[in-house]
Amino acid sequence: MKRYPEIKKQNLRMFVFLVLGLVLSLILMSLPLYSFDVGVYTKKSANTFVGDEKYAAAKAEAEAVAEEYRAQGLDVEVSEDVLERVNSKGKTTSLVTFTVSQRNSKNFWSFLGKDLPSSTALVCILGLMAFSLIFTVSGLAGSFDLMHRYLDQRSKIFRSLTIAILLIAILLIPVFILMNNFTFSRQLSLYNSNLVTEGKELFYARMDRFLFDGQMGESIGDVLSGLDIQHSNLIWLLIPTLFISLLAAFSLRKGEIQSSLLRLCLYVFVIVVCVVTLYPYYVMLITAFRTNAESLDMYFLHMFPTKWIWSNLTDIINRGVPRFLLNSLFVAGGATLLAMLCGIPAAYALARMNFKGKKIFLGYVIMSQMFSPVVLLIGISQLMTTLHLNNTLWGLMLINAAFNQAFAIWLLRGTFVSISSEMEQAALIDGCGTVGALTKVLIPMAAPGIVTALIFVFINAWNEYTVATILISTAQNRPITVGITQFSSFNMIEWQYMFAASLLATIPVVVLFMTIERHLTAGLTSGGVKG
Amino acid sequence: MSTGLNRTKWEPYLWLLPSTLLVSVFVLFPILIVFKLSFSEISQAGVVGKFIGFDNYVEALKLPAFKTVMMNTLWWVLSVVILSTVLGFIIALVLNQKFRGRKIAHAILVFPWATSLVIQASVWNYIIKYEYGNLNNVLLNLGIIKQAINFRSSYQVEFIWECWVGIFVTVPFVTFCVLSGLQSIDVSLYEAATMDGAGFWHKLRHITLPLVKPSLTVSTVLNIIYVFNSFPIVYTMTKGAPAHKTDTMITYLYMLSFYERKKGPATALSVIGFLILCLCAGIYMVTVMRKEDQQ
Repeated sequence: MKRYPEIKKQNLRMFVFLVLGLVLSLILMSLPLYSFDVGVYTKKSANTFVGDEKYAAAKAEAEAVAEEYRAQGLDVEVSEDVLERVNSKGKTTSLVTFTVSQRNSKNFWSFLGKDLPSSTALVCILGLMAFSLIFTVSGLAGSFDLMHRYLDQRSKIFRSLTIAILLIAILLIPVFILMNNFTFSRQLSLYNSNLVTEGKELFYARMDRFLFDGQMGESIGDVLSGLDIQHSNLIWLLIPTLFISLLAAFSLRKGEIQSSLLRLCLYVFVIVVCVVTLYPYYVMLITAFRTNAESLDMYFLHMFPTKWIWSNLTDIINRGVPRFLLNSLFVAGGATLLAMLCGIPAAYALARMNFKGKKIFLGYVIMSQMFSPVVLLIGISQLMTTLHLNNTLWGLMLINAAFNQAFAIWLLRGTFVSISSEMEQAALIDGCGTVGALTKVLIPMAAPGIVTALIFVFINAWNEYTVATILISTAQNRPITVGITQFSSFNMIEWQYMFAASLLATIPVVVLFMTIERHLTAGLTSGGVKG
Repeated sequence: MSTGLNRTKWEPYLWLLPSTLLVSVFVLFPILIVFKLSFSEISQAGVVGKFIGFDNYVEALKLPAFKTVMMNTLWWVLSVVILSTVLGFIIALVLNQKFRGRKIAHAILVFPWATSLVIQASVWNYIIKYEYGNLNNVLLNLGIIKQAINFRSSYQVEFIWECWVGIFVTVPFVTFCVLSGLQSIDVSLYEAATMDGAGFWHKLRHITLPLVKPSLTVSTVLNIIYVFNSFPIVYTMTKGAPAHKTDTMITYLYMLSFYERKKGPATALSVIGFLILCLCAGIYMVTVMRKEDQQ
C-alpha cells in the first residue's frame, strides 16, 4: 500500500478546518445570546422638566447609585422616561423617572443543567460536536496519508458517521432556537397574563434558575412579568460555522475539496427544494389535527398541534365527506373505464393500421386536449341541460372521460407502438381475429403502459374541480374537490375540517401517482410522437 | 406498420368510432354551441334569442375590466411559464446527478403534480393569511421577524402570490419532462466532451440544451395551454377581487357568465379565448409533427 505525502498534507488541512469550525462554534456559544434588563433602583421626580434644576439633581442621584453598582462590578445603565400631560387647569405637568437597571446576558452555557426544554437540545448539539471530533480522529487514525480508495471499511464508516452527526447537529440548531423563542415569548406571556396556570410554579422556578441562578425566589413572578428578553441573531451564525466543519468532513470522506463543495451545494439545493415542496403539506397535516381556535390563533407559536385532535376526522365523516369521496371515486372510476374502453381501440387502430385520415384523427383528438372545459363551460352546461344530465354524476363522468381521451390515446398509442407486432400476427394467423389478438396478446403485454394511462386519467378526473362546480348543484352529488369548499363560507372558515378532508383526498392520489411517475414522463414527451 | 392481413376498408374507422363519438359529443359540440351563442342574443335568464352578429363581441371589448383582465392573463401566463420552466430545468439538472436520496427527492417532487389545484390553492391561501397564517407563525417562531407581516397588503401582491402558487404547481411537470429528456442522453457524449476539455457551461450549451430541446418545447407549449386554462388558483385565492383586478381571462369568463349573468359577452370572450388556444395548439401540432417527421 503506497503512502502519499500530498494526501497527508491535504488531510491535515481538512482536519484543521474541521477543528476550526468546532472551535469557532464554541466561541460563538460563549457570546451573549439573550439579554434582559432588571431595574434595581428607581428615582421619580414630579413637576420636573427636562433641563431644569430638579432634573439635574435627580439625574445626579441616579448616576450616583449607578456608580455604586458599577463599583461592585455589575453592568448597569441609567435610563430616563418623561411623562408629560396637561391637567384640568390647562397646566402642563411632567414626571421624570430615572431607572437604574442591571443588564444581564445569558449565553449557551447558561442553559446547561437548567431543565429548560432547549437545554436538552443544547446538550445534544454539544454531544454531537464532541462525537464528530472523536469519529474524525478515529477515521483518520492509521490512514492519514492513504488514497481514499485504499481506505479500510472502518475508516470509511467513521468518516461517514462524522458527516451524518454534523448534519444532525446543524439541523438541531433551528430546533434549539424554536424552543427558546417559544419559551421566552409565548409560554412566558401566557403564564404572566394568567391565561394558563397549570405548571406555572415549576416553570417560574426553572426560569428563576436560568435567569437569576435561583436568587429571586418568591418575587420571581413580579420580576418575570416586567421582563423583556432580547435575543441576538448571532445564534444563526452557528449554522455556517458548523457548516465549515461539515465541509471539511465531506472533503475527508471524498478526497477532493472542489467536488465535495459542489456535492454539498447539491445536497443543500435538493434539501431546500424538498422543504419548500413539502411545506404546504406540512401545513395541511398540522392544521387538519388542530382545534378551530388553534388554527385561527394569531400568535400560535407551536410547530405542531398542542394536542392532536383526531375527532376532526370523525367530525368530517358526519359532515358528508365519505359521500363526497364515494362520488369522486364513482366519477373518476367511471371516467377512467370509459376513457379506456374508447381509447384502447382507437390507440390500437392508430398504432397498427394504416388508413386515410390517420393524421387528421390524431390532430382532432390532440386538439381536444388543448381546451380546458372552462372555456367551454357555457356550452357544456347548455349541452348537459339538453341531455338532462345536469346535476348528475353521469354527466360529470362523461365530460371527464371526453376531456381525458386525448392523453389516454396519446399514452396508449406510444405503448402499443413500442411493442413489436409479431406476436399479434402469430395470433392472427392462428385464427384469433383482431379483437382476440388485442385482448389476448397486446393488452397483457402492454399492461404497464395501460396502468399508467389508467391511473393518469383517474387522477385527472379525481382532481377535477371547475366543471363540477357548475354541473353539480346539490350537496349530495358533490365530488370531494367541491366538497372541501363547503367548509369555507363568508363569515367562517373551518380550516381544520377543510384540510382534514383535503388530506383524505390527497394521500391516495399522491401514492398512486408515485407508482406511475417513471412511466408517465417517458410517455408524455416521446410516447405520443413515436411513429 | 400494417399487419399485412386482409382488412376491410372501413375497419379502422370502426375502431375509432367510440373515441370519436365521445370527443365529438362532449368537446366538439360544446365548442359549436359556444360559437352559436356568441352570435346570438341571450337574456339574463339564459334564453337564446335571434342572431345579432358581432354585438356580443363589441360589448365584451367595451367591458370596463377587459383590458386589466387581458394584461393579467398575459402576465400570469408569461411569468408562470417562464419562471417554472427555468426553475424546473435547473431542478431537473440537479436531480439528474447521482446522489443518495435521489429517489426520495423524486417522490417528493411528485406531490404538487398529483394534488388537486383547489387543495393547493386553499393551503397557500391559509399559509399567507395575515391574522393567523402559518408563514407568519413560522417566521415569528424562528425569530426572523419580530412582527407579523401582511403578505396580502394589496391586490398586486396577492396576484404575485397567485403566480407563485402557479409556479409551485407547474415546476414538477417541467422537471419530469426535462428529466425524461436528460435520461435519454448518451453518457458517452459527455465523456467525449470532457476528454476534449469542455467545461460545464460548454457541455450544457452544446450537448444538454440541444438534446433536451424537444422535451422542453413540448412541456413549454403544454404549460402555456394549462396555465392559460388554469382556473382554481385564482378562483380560490381571490375570486378576482377587488373588481376583477386579479382575474385572468378564464376566471373572468366564469364570473361573467355565472355570477354577473352577462352570458352574451361571456360567450364572446370564450370564443376569443378559444381562438388564442387554437393558435397555441397549432404551434404545438406543428412542433410535434416536425419532431415526428425527424424520427
